[in-house]
Amino acid sequence: MTDRVDGRLKVTGAATYAADNRLDRLAYGYLVTSTVARGTIVSMDTAAASKAPGVLAVYTPFEPLKLYRYTKEQNDELTPPLQDANVRYFGQAIGLVVAETFEQARDAAALIQVRYDAKTPAASFRDGLPSAADPPSGSPVSEVLAPGVGSIDDALNASEVTISATYTASMQNHNAMEPHPTVAAWDGDHVTLYTATQGVILVVDRIAEALGIDKAKIHVRNPYVGGGFGNKWGIWAHTPLTAAAARALGRPVKTVLTREQAFTVVGHRPASQQTVSLGARKDGTLTAIKNDGVSSKSASNSFYEPVANLCLSLYASPNIHVSRKVVTLDVPVTTIMRAPQEANGSFALESAMDELAVKLGIDPLELRRKNDSPVVPSSGVPWSSKHLDECYRIGAERFGWSRRNPTPGAVTDGDWLVGLGMATATYGASRAQASVKVRLLANGTAVVSGTGADLGTGQSTVWAILAAESLGIPVARIRPDLGDSASPVAANAGGSGSTSTNGPAVQLATDAAKTAMIALAVQDERSPFHGMAAGDVRFEDGRLTAGNLSVPFGSLLTSLDVPGVEATATSPKNGDKTHGFRSFGAHFCEVRVNAWTGEPRVSRWLTVLDAGRIVNEKTAHNQIVGGVVMGIGHALLEETRLEPATGRISNADLASYLVPVNADVPPIDVRFLDYPDTLLSPLGARGIGEFGIVGAAGAVANAVHNATGKRIRDLPITLEKLLT
Amino acid sequence: MRAFGFTAARTLPEALRLAGPGSAFLAGGTTLVDLMKLDVLTPGQVIDINRLPLHGISRDALRIGALERMSDVARHPRVYPVIAEALALSASPQLRNMASIGGNLLQRTRCGYFRDVHTACNRRQPGSGCAALTGDNRTHAILGTSDACVATHPSDLAVALVALDASVRLVSRAGERLVRLAAFYRPPGDTPQVENDLRPGELITEVVVPRLPWARHSTYVKVRDRSSYEFALASAAVALDVRGGVIREARVAAGGVGAVPWRLPAVEATLRGKPPTRASFEAAAAPAADGARPLPGNAFKVTLLKRTIVRALMSLEARS
Repeated sequence: MTDRVDGRLKVTGAATYAADNRLDRLAYGYLVTSTVARGTIVSMDTAAASKAPGVLAVYTPFEPLKLYRYTKEQNDELTPPLQDANVRYFGQAIGLVVAETFEQARDAAALIQVRYDAKTPAASFRDGLPSAADPPSGSPVSEVLAPGVGSIDDALNASEVTISATYTASMQNHNAMEPHPTVAAWDGDHVTLYTATQGVILVVDRIAEALGIDKAKIHVRNPYVGGGFGNKWGIWAHTPLTAAAARALGRPVKTVLTREQAFTVVGHRPASQQTVSLGARKDGTLTAIKNDGVSSKSASNSFYEPVANLCLSLYASPNIHVSRKVVTLDVPVTTIMRAPQEANGSFALESAMDELAVKLGIDPLELRRKNDSPVVPSSGVPWSSKHLDECYRIGAERFGWSRRNPTPGAVTDGDWLVGLGMATATYGASRAQASVKVRLLANGTAVVSGTGADLGTGQSTVWAILAAESLGIPVARIRPDLGDSASPVAANAGGSGSTSTNGPAVQLATDAAKTAMIALAVQDERSPFHGMAAGDVRFEDGRLTAGNLSVPFGSLLTSLDVPGVEATATSPKNGDKTHGFRSFGAHFCEVRVNAWTGEPRVSRWLTVLDAGRIVNEKTAHNQIVGGVVMGIGHALLEETRLEPATGRISNADLASYLVPVNADVPPIDVRFLDYPDTLLSPLGARGIGEFGIVGAAGAVANAVHNATGKRIRDLPITLEKLLT
Repeated sequence: MRAFGFTAARTLPEALRLAGPGSAFLAGGTTLVDLMKLDVLTPGQVIDINRLPLHGISRDALRIGALERMSDVARHPRVYPVIAEALALSASPQLRNMASIGGNLLQRTRCGYFRDVHTACNRRQPGSGCAALTGDNRTHAILGTSDACVATHPSDLAVALVALDASVRLVSRAGERLVRLAAFYRPPGDTPQVENDLRPGELITEVVVPRLPWARHSTYVKVRDRSSYEFALASAAVALDVRGGVIREARVAAGGVGAVPWRLPAVEATLRGKPPTRASFEAAAAPAADGARPLPGNAFKVTLLKRTIVRALMSLEARS
């Protein structure tokens, strides 16, 4: 239970976030965005804006900043801003005003008159469903059939019991607390960028490409990030524009997206539909799983959610079929958002399992236990380390699941209908290649550096803990140095891969630094260890020890007049193809629905999960709580409301795009099993960033059914769906 | 936000003297500053009235200074429960600590089209049309609307005050007048830009609540998507005078559903003389949405309104 190493800095305001970099002669950028969803810009009258007080420059498609074509999509868009007059979605960046102050830039931007040749946009996911098409990449179908079974429908038809239902979920926006800032400053042909990102390397790559400059001339710094949730992976329009404007004007420029712009200039989670059919024997054994998934996709990029995929990995079944289709819309970019595909995928599958349990008259937890799979259901490969049954058992005991009344609507508390629901939590695990540098300093401290990002997850604290553990010194004497593109290339923050990928690299780099320290000790003539065999010197508890001789490494460095010793190590990607790697757990919740007015409220929550070794229970707990809170929002509140006729988002602010407030969130009880997954890495940690949200919406929907008897298959579950 | 002049008035006469075309009074600023940032309001002159002596709550809590903060009024021990609860369920603690009572009554609609200058809105720009009619109208009004405007009045406090038949004292250079709040608000009709009876240069100085001892038995129920920090989808302010098992007098008003705070005299009349039972409440609430003009996105409010009234009456009776 280690406090965040940067917690004090953050709560006292001392942590420097990207927008906090107030450079000399800083100018301010403000984006102009489109007010139609499709068409061409005929003209932009910038005369008044150009003459407005303090204005330094007005850039438009007619007076652009040159940006080169993007060749590689990074969950963002392939079209650089302002290079043509096409409008592809409502709220697209079509101009940048730079002025002496933020207010001057904003007010001047409001003076620009834009004329469009507007066309009718495709902006209704529902209307597009009948013409859903194969996805732009990846196979449209994945299927496993038992020997002798001709098709998934044959398997369903042969099943003793079947259910089939269609589940939908709306678009969502990430809405991290920190909006998207970029500060760019040039020194000759060298540019420094302070920009909120999940990976500084991603920014280097994009800026090198867009501005046509050598990566070696780009330095990106981003030690603190105020939340990302997938939305700071892609590089959005303001970042290359700000860098190019700063170059053109010869002074540093800062551009921060407004909250409204952070609904359109950046990406969103696609809308989805899943038609799930389950076949089972009367005892509950699954015999067929079919999920036809459809995702919305922006016409501006290729990202979509293969939303049915989770069915390939969760429950045992001899026959599994998933399909993938897309509805392409004239909307802002579709992108990754916390547990892409699986947050929505689990809502459908976990709701369907609950529906099957009701039809079979089997307890929904029992149905899941019956279909727990020791192997990857679609491939038969064994899981590296799976303890789901223990999560179910501990969760049921702790939550009092056995006291659940299976009859919907049977439990009331005053005006409130009370229901219990559960769902399986899960997320895939991986270990990519990562390099980390550890530098031991003469003052007895150590710096651990790599390009990784701490989005508020606790990643930097994890690095400090692992280095401290290996060096045998207090955590307070480690300085984690993340988010600097000059550091060795560690994992970007995404896909729940930071700890599983970077953690082993920190361990290796610390070992290498200790080895380098011992080598110095035995080689330097002024060292008391000089001439000893390296193998006879141990590094433990922060000291070098041989026989009766024991010296703290900092003291030794000081006495040798050497400022520091460093080593870089690279941890390889996981090459194990003989196991499946995935975390599993279980959510249990109690939901109350007002009997008169229908509003649903979550009143109790327990999550029990196994994510391999938990490096720091305090920040890990925070991560799961955050995932569950977001899952409650996913279930009950969050919805990006798109006007079908205009393609405009009608709730692009935090007053009308609802996320849970404290009053919506009960105490969340989180229990970790903590079984190290040593097949994934010597560290044994999987990832926890997305884990908490997967299954959460399903658990809520199932509790709503238990409370009311109403099966709501469309997220979010708002009160009008429960009023009838 | 456009450039504007700023003056801080020290006295009421000074504030009234400074007022002119294109000026706006600034109290808590929670509506004005917000809408200025969005370019929806573009006053040339902002007159800070926070130093004016419009503070104070009378001992019986029947006179409330216009500059009293929402949080202070909500905490006052003598204020009627329906007022205290309506305030406590409004906004967030931070906003309640800033926003004034007078400003609360003058707050502008939360209609997303009113707040976005790139869309059509007759209230913001007369004659431009109403984008809400064909757009996203889930949160819009079903009662008192017109073809020109379907925006919802956002205030919770106003609903409670209309139920109690409170008045506002208005002062201008021309003099002073007391206006019943129910008459103060104007339904949109063909002129949605005229939201109330406030004349140019006029300022609300205080709220006057009639003495209504039985209104100690009152409550405010607010129904919304999340538990806090959100405007009502439907709300009900109710007060009952029950003696001898019979409702002698009743006050019922609704929020979240009307173009203006919506008093329901027919519901009140039906309640009179009836026992305070669920059957009486349901019968009385049945015509609450008569005359409603539901839109595709907010048709659910017809049912929600009736249920909210019954729920409020039931919860009030459960207290006694």
